[in-house]
Amino acid sequence: MKPLQDIIKSKPWVAWLLFFVTVIVVFIIGLFASSIIERRSEAEYTFQMVKPIAEFEPRNEIWGENYPREYESYRRTLHTDFASKHGGSKDIDYLEKYPELVVMWAGYPFSKDYKQGRGHGYAIEDIRKTLRTGGNKVSPLPATCWACKSTDVPRMMNKTGIGEFYKGKWIEKGEEIINPIGCQDCHDPKTMNLRITRPGLIEAFKRQGKDINEATRQEMRSLVCAQCHVEYYFDKTNNNYLVFPWDKGFSADEMEAYYDEIDFYDWKHALSQTPMLKAQHPDYELYTTGIHYKRGVACADCHMPYKTEGGVKYTDHHIQSPLNNVENSCQVCHRVKAEELVRDVYDRQDRLESLRRLVEKSLAAVHMEAKTAWDNGATEDEMKPILQLIRHAQWRWDWVAAANGLGFHAPAEAFRVLGTSIQKAEEARRLIALVLVKHNVKYPLVLADISTKEKAQKFIGLNMPELIADKEDFLKTTVLTWDQKAKERQGTLIKY
Amino acid sequence: MSKITDKQGLLKKLIYHILPPDKWKLPVVILLGIFTGLSLTVLKISNAVSYLSDDPKACVNCHIMSPQFATWERSSHGRVTVCNDCHVPQDNFVNKYYFKAMDGLRHATMFTFRLEPQVITIKDAGKKAVQNNCIRCHTDLIHPVSVRAISNKMIIDKEETYCWDCHRETPHGRVNSLSSTPYASVPKLTPILPEWLSTSIKNEKKQ
Repeated sequence: MKPLQDIIKSKPWVAWLLFFVTVIVVFIIGLFASSIIERRSEAEYTFQMVKPIAEFEPRNEIWGENYPREYESYRRTLHTDFASKHGGSKDIDYLEKYPELVVMWAGYPFSKDYKQGRGHGYAIEDIRKTLRTGGNKVSPLPATCWACKSTDVPRMMNKTGIGEFYKGKWIEKGEEIINPIGCQDCHDPKTMNLRITRPGLIEAFKRQGKDINEATRQEMRSLVCAQCHVEYYFDKTNNNYLVFPWDKGFSADEMEAYYDEIDFYDWKHALSQTPMLKAQHPDYELYTTGIHYKRGVACADCHMPYKTEGGVKYTDHHIQSPLNNVENSCQVCHRVKAEELVRDVYDRQDRLESLRRLVEKSLAAVHMEAKTAWDNGATEDEMKPILQLIRHAQWRWDWVAAANGLGFHAPAEAFRVLGTSIQKAEEARRLIALVLVKHNVKYPLVLADISTKEKAQKFIGLNMPELIADKEDFLKTTVLTWDQKAKERQGTLIKY
Repeated sequence: MSKITDKQGLLKKLIYHILPPDKWKLPVVILLGIFTGLSLTVLKISNAVSYLSDDPKACVNCHIMSPQFATWERSSHGRVTVCNDCHVPQDNFVNKYYFKAMDGLRHATMFTFRLEPQVITIKDAGKKAVQNNCIRCHTDLIHPVSVRAISNKMIIDKEETYCWDCHRETPHGRVNSLSSTPYASVPKLTPILPEWLSTSIKNEKKQ
């Protein structure tokens, strides 16, 4: 075979042929490359916003312009028509249902008013309306109480700093906190990725030596809820800074040890003088001990399942009791009839409730008995171990009772914690009986009638008409100015 | 021995045949470099290496697979399987990569020439692979009696029957059009430009 150069010498068109073939091949590779780039950039446009959302935009309706399906389903958190046997979205007055709670919380705002938490869309309306936050004359709560209520919180924390946000009284910051829990609390406005906006969770992770940025997507689908649905306390030594008591661990016992170590108490009980703890709603902590969590199920899997509408699938943002949506939540994994699944839930909740009632009856009694003991000259030394038992018993009861779902998030752990609560409450009653007898009080005592909310509130000395009048005045005056100022600031203000 | 020398001779002859004259050597080397560089660029921007793995992210390199990815990720199978567990044969290595290569080339061609339909449906070869993989994992669940029930029906109707004829929502849901999960967040390709370059471009624009 002759070398190519010799062929070209005799036939120059071969060189031209080679030249053009090379041109065509390179041209095609170039086209191919540009086509790949073009199709890659299409992927960017599949996620396109009609109107870019500003960082820290608190108004959910503005986010909703880009994501109408998600927003419309979120708006359904305003529905109040579903009641399960033990929860749901309907108004339930728990003080009426369980009047003993009034006595157990004597001296603390919860004895005034405690209702079923409604949907996220009501977060602002309900915190304004509850008697716990007081009125114009008496406003007992710190600004920290706003921390979980609104999409305005990340905005304000960014503006003023975290420590400054928690400072001061609840009533002082109302005009800035207007939009209820919504889009910004969990989403990044540019990418819509899940993100953590509350410092409490990030700080708690840090103290445990974990980095929350390493959480997987599936973990984030629970962690965004864990920003608020957890146990936390306001550090009185640091301007009511919000802290998660997770340093020793997640369980009721470990948090109790944490609180004991730092000598923390939420309030001194008005009857028994016990330094009490009030549990918030340790939903996440309780849930992580349960079987669903162990199998990798996230909060969103049951509370925000996938939904089909027309040919479009999206995450249902109507965050609610899965019992109102069994088909999309439970039945995705459990191929059992809906009624049977609901019955399984009620079976556990009914049993839990029966144990709860035992604790509530003995705790209400022991607070009253402790008051009688003090009144009849019991000493600090005699009362100290009893008060410690009361403190622990009520904390453990509250750890289960305050969590949503009446223990269903992890029934086995809920039963265990309630069990120790019963043991401690009864132990306290046994000891107090000895103290009473020692001080010549006739035992058993005839306890006051607290069979209704009204009787119980009267017994602990609450002046309800005054509280209600103050609240009504507050709603007619202060709240209206807040809304007006918010409207001036934002430009728009919609009704929830 | 003589055969090998023959071969070596042939190779030498071939190279000698296409070797350019001395004064052309430099431009030819440069051109070959450009050619190779271009090909490497194509490999990089198309993320070609990822196709050798079992990572589901490789399947959403082409964004049109996002609905399938999103519905799988949020389904019961999303916790225990990846795309390849079901969609390519798992009986042996050769079969697996042969199937993957053939399927991949077809997908690449369809995607490049924009031939993808609005609703992507599975082909017969794919159905067979998936069906075998259903059986591979769920073999304990397939009771001889139920298998016979299917066989009887097949005999009467003279048609094939697949697991998902009944288990229609597993694992993707029934139908996925290209637009069925418009806002689902799925993994994205990393930008082609290195970060330092895109930030310096951005900064320049600002100035």
